[in-house]
Amino acid sequence: MIEVEDLTVRFGGVTSVNQVTLTFPAGACGLIGPNGAGKTTLFNVLSGFVRPETGRVSAFGDDLLAMPDYARARWGLRRTFQTEQAIEALTVYDNVLAVYEHTTKGRAARQAAVLDAIGLVGLGDVAFARVGTLSPRQRRLVEVGRAVVGTPRVVLLDEPGAGLPEAETEHLGAVIRTIPDQVGAMVVLVEHDMSLVKACCEWTAVLDFGRLLASGPTAEVLRDPEVLKAYLGQEELQ
Amino acid sequence: MLNTSQLFPFLISGLAFGAVYAMSGTGLLVLYRTTGVLNFAFGAIGAMGANITWHLIEKTEWCPDWLAYVACVVVSAALTLLYGVVFAPRFANRDPLGKMLGTLAFALILLGLMFNLWRSQDARGFRLPTGTRRFEIFDARVTWTQVVAVLFALLVVGGVTIFLRATKIGTAMRAIANDREISSLLGVPVRRVETAAWLGSGVLCGIVGLLLVDLFGSLDMVLMTWFVIPSLAPVLIGQMRYLWVTFFAAFVIGVVEAELNASNWGWPSQYRKTTAYVFAVGALLWFARKRTIMISGRATR
Amino acid sequence: MTTLDAHSALAGEPVSTVPSRFGRRSITQAAIAAAVFLIAMFVLPALTSTFWVKNFTSAAILSIVAGATGLLYGRVGLVSLGQIALYGVGTWVTMRLGFATDWPYPVLVLIAGVITAVIGVLLGLPALRLQGLYLALVTLMAAAAFLVILADTKFPTGGPGFKGLVVEVTNSDSMRRPDVAETDFGFYRYVLVVAVIMFGLALAHLVSKPGRAWASIRHSEAAALATGVNTTTYKLWAWGLASFMTGIAGGLLAAHVRSPSTFTFGVEQNIILMAVVVMGGVATLWGGVVAGLLVAVLPELLQKWGFSSEWSLILFGTGLFANLLITSWQLDKAGIKE
Repeated sequence: MIEVEDLTVRFGGVTSVNQVTLTFPAGACGLIGPNGAGKTTLFNVLSGFVRPETGRVSAFGDDLLAMPDYARARWGLRRTFQTEQAIEALTVYDNVLAVYEHTTKGRAARQAAVLDAIGLVGLGDVAFARVGTLSPRQRRLVEVGRAVVGTPRVVLLDEPGAGLPEAETEHLGAVIRTIPDQVGAMVVLVEHDMSLVKACCEWTAVLDFGRLLASGPTAEVLRDPEVLKAYLGQEELQ
Repeated sequence: MLNTSQLFPFLISGLAFGAVYAMSGTGLLVLYRTTGVLNFAFGAIGAMGANITWHLIEKTEWCPDWLAYVACVVVSAALTLLYGVVFAPRFANRDPLGKMLGTLAFALILLGLMFNLWRSQDARGFRLPTGTRRFEIFDARVTWTQVVAVLFALLVVGGVTIFLRATKIGTAMRAIANDREISSLLGVPVRRVETAAWLGSGVLCGIVGLLLVDLFGSLDMVLMTWFVIPSLAPVLIGQMRYLWVTFFAAFVIGVVEAELNASNWGWPSQYRKTTAYVFAVGALLWFARKRTIMISGRATR
Repeated sequence: MTTLDAHSALAGEPVSTVPSRFGRRSITQAAIAAAVFLIAMFVLPALTSTFWVKNFTSAAILSIVAGATGLLYGRVGLVSLGQIALYGVGTWVTMRLGFATDWPYPVLVLIAGVITAVIGVLLGLPALRLQGLYLALVTLMAAAAFLVILADTKFPTGGPGFKGLVVEVTNSDSMRRPDVAETDFGFYRYVLVVAVIMFGLALAHLVSKPGRAWASIRHSEAAALATGVNTTTYKLWAWGLASFMTGIAGGLLAAHVRSPSTFTFGVEQNIILMAVVVMGGVATLWGGVVAGLLVAVLPELLQKWGFSSEWSLILFGTGLFANLLITSWQLDKAGIKE
């Protein structure tokens, strides 16, 4: 569970996140909103890339803002990026291993854990290929694999479906849905593809111009007239 | 004990070198902001021009001196333009470091060529007409080259400021320096503006080359080639952005270095040649206090 | 809305075995490295004169410096234009301790490596907040300042005081060599062995945890933090390792030339080193070997063939240029902007 309280982030004169208070329950949650709504900024606050002006953020009772950025991955906070950040120079195995060895104490079971994560995202057949040689879809999955290896507690996915054809998004959705049960981590999904959000998330929050517009069970939130207004003209919501 | 009569003559030479730093700095800065290229060949190009001037003066019968001086500026501008138009566009997709490495390669090639064309051990040099004429103020002998250097520096930085504000191409330069992609989308003729920047900075290369030979009292192509390194110091102090900060930093460095030479203050005087570097390192580290995290080259928002 | 069952969606064979890191390619690489080492060790000295063996000694020493610089640039994404200054630190410390003590030579070199690493890390601590061009420039400026001081201080010649200078320099005031490697041929082999150890040390880092951390850092700061890498620690680690290797090389140089001159430590040497490192290639450690040969042997070869040694500057410039053109073209083809 992530609790965000009275969070404000400013860049110069622009208020990117404005006094947001919201709670993500365990399981898989969606975080949606039009472009520039502050979704990625919220992720950047959670992973420590951006210092908020005010506010508190706690995850499963621990104060996230008190931790240095690199230590949050060790605590169990993992994320993927809008511009995919799998490391091209390494193999899929080494990509996942790098996260495992830098976030987990002791060396026991590292092979098994890494192979489990690769198997979970369905990249078993390319486990020892260099990421530079993979397709965009496979690279996205490598990033997801990096996020689920070991014992993550929170997995943040920033538009994992961006630029993928529909059939590939379905596979991605299937992978995301297995994370809470099989890995035991909660998921927060930022996504423009509403079918992916509907398919994966029981609970959804909506941001607009840095403010919280609505939050609640996904189906209810997507029927909210305020939300529809913010998304005016975007057919995916129907 | 120090007195002003001791320090004053060195103030003049300090101002003169400061002026040269200021001109180099302006040339480097405007080019960097407009094209994204930090031109490490700035000194080598000037040295090449100066060598050709020397050759025309000493080794040919027909060439009048004034033409030889002009040749330095023309050759420097042509070499800079050659690099800027033919080679620099091939490195458009590189980061600033890759672009700089390209100019570094150019500097090495030029230096090697100069070594082969004019062997370095020959004691060479020439005097500008302004270098042989002097006058005295307060017991300090001042050559006209020193005066010209300072006036020229003022003229250059003032001229560039007006150019950037008042002319069409200057406005375009500022637009490109601010945001390259948006400017190009808005129809700013990027290539033409870049060419103008290369040309202008090339002319400055040539002028700096001429002045350096006169101020150093000899034509040392190795010294001149790597003169670009201390010249970067004022540019870095100006955060590779602010022209007038660069300008004043250049004079401060020139004067501090010269005054340390004049006085006898133990180790600061002994190591006065580190002045520019110490200033630059200090400035860089000061500006780097705050850390920003980059995702693929862009700061996180 | 997808109706796919989660498990049926997870295509691909499960994997249960991990191939050894020492697979076929690594074995080939190791075989080539061993062959090169054996030829350099035993065949080359038999074929050449003392003059050339000395040049190859310089090449082996410089290949360590080049390897360290290339590792920083190619594997961690950090640019150092100040490596020659650290090289000078290694030489200076070895000379000073060599005259002050009668400790065995390997101990001197090791201490020189450690002191250079400590200095490198201390200077790196503030500098590593900078990236790319700015890091390159701050290292160049710091190195320039340091080399001005070195040119004034000079290398120790066996005198008293911190600087260890004597006015009258005689032949006996030069740096000693290890007993097992008194001759030029012997010292050449000694240097080769040390170089192999240094490259082995670098390789051991690259294939293990630090290597993977460095790959993340090189990719982007964000990727590194998402990996859980403490970027400051691992950058400093890389910086320290490169400084250590460079310091060791400095120690070797002290006994190689015996009375080194500060003239060979000009600020422009940093730039020439960077040119040959990029020219030799930074993707593998072999680039360091190539760079060492280029910078130490090529000028002599040119002279032997009747060209002035300054042609090497033109060749280095052209080589760097060609490398940049090819890599830019490759980036273009892949549609990448750095």
